[in-house]
Amino acid sequence: MTHLEIGLLLAWGTLVGVDLVSVGQLMIARPIVAGTIAGLLLGDAASGIRLGLIFELFQFDILPFGAVRYPEYGPATIAAVAATHLMKRPDAWGIATGMGLVVAVVAGSSLHWLRELNARVVRRAAAALEAGDVRVLARVHLGGLARDAVRALVVTTLGLLTAWLVARDAAELPARVFSATAAASAGAALAAAVAGLLRLKGPRSNLRWLAAGLAGGMAVLWFA
Amino acid sequence: MVRVKPRLGAALLRLFTVQGSWNYDRMIGVGVGLAEEPLLRELRSGPDNGAAYRAAVARGARFFNSHPYLAGLAVGAAARAELDGAPPEQIERLRSALCGPLGAMGDRLVWTGWLPLLSAATLAALALGAGWWGVAAFLVIYNLGHVALRWWALRAGWAAGTQVVGALRNPVLQRALGAVVPAMALVFGFSLPLVTRALVRQFPLDLGIVCAAVAAVGLALLRWRPGRIASLWMGLGAVLLAAVGGWLWR
Repeated sequence: MTHLEIGLLLAWGTLVGVDLVSVGQLMIARPIVAGTIAGLLLGDAASGIRLGLIFELFQFDILPFGAVRYPEYGPATIAAVAATHLMKRPDAWGIATGMGLVVAVVAGSSLHWLRELNARVVRRAAAALEAGDVRVLARVHLGGLARDAVRALVVTTLGLLTAWLVARDAAELPARVFSATAAASAGAALAAAVAGLLRLKGPRSNLRWLAAGLAGGMAVLWFA
Repeated sequence: MVRVKPRLGAALLRLFTVQGSWNYDRMIGVGVGLAEEPLLRELRSGPDNGAAYRAAVARGARFFNSHPYLAGLAVGAAARAELDGAPPEQIERLRSALCGPLGAMGDRLVWTGWLPLLSAATLAALALGAGWWGVAAFLVIYNLGHVALRWWALRAGWAAGTQVVGALRNPVLQRALGAVVPAMALVFGFSLPLVTRALVRQFPLDLGIVCAAVAAVGLALLRWRPGRIASLWMGLGAVLLAAVGGWLWR
């Protein structure tokens, strides 16, 4: 990767990281978006779309309700796309997926740490907030935004460093490891998506809609 | 009653960062307070030297939690109630009463409906050969709904004030709530065979069997212990086992 590509990925990862919670929630943090754009930035759109699709399937099993803790797949997808690109093998995405899942755990934990840090800042400013001091209110809020941007940048940097290390050391692995991990990651992603769907679908009466959709998808496969 | 020219645009912009200082003490309260502040500025010129303004800002920044896209409903309603001179206790009760419904409604409408529906449609499009434009279409269509919902929420809250519960009975909203999850199930069902085929067709028979076995065992584990076994750890375990298996089987 060139310095320009690294810089672009860091900037993109930071945007993706803050979009998840703090700014916009425009869904550029969805893996399918984060991965596709990362692939385009590296001139490797196919890897970007494939990794984006895999992590999007994992994402279906995540419901960001209230204060629940969850893995962060956006920067993880960017790191996985970078790792696949660096390994220069069409079947490298299985190992990249495994690496991305580890990055997602760390990134998700960093969100929890950020929320605890924000709580400490709010407690320190409680008197001014209760007095209706708008400048303190703005400072607390903007500070939270800045901390999240730093968090996202650090997480993306760690992800790209991990991708570089994995790509360097994976070069010596037997070909069978690449193909087996690719098959396993595809299967695991499908299992996560179906588990997520069965939780999302709501009452049993929605099963008929699910069945109708399945029938339609099978018909398209049959005729395509 | 105080007559004001609403600064709804400024409030809407701030609502896009409503979770910027998310924390375990006040949840999104600080962001809600900052979004509400432009709507409260007319109170600064009151005869009390701005005391009502500062008290309203302080109330606005207390604990609050809801779906971020619908937080505008509480922001608009609380600001309107403050300007209408509603008693502070009533405004506190209004904010507390809105937390649950706005959270539940937004979760159902967006997190379990609109978002997975469009995400599944995008995956189907990609499986059928759409390139980056499929992803671009997802972003555009999703955000048309997203921004419209934020804008509706803020305007509806601002118009209704303490009567905001009536806005939640909006017939379009109620119809959307009833239709979005079945529609998501339909589209997700449609995309599943296409995505599976797109993933599996690149594998020879033996690896296709590995993929199917991981999917079956993984799904069984996730259904057997929902909440106990996370899909991420299941996936990580599967990749590690496959790496060891591939190493031994070379």
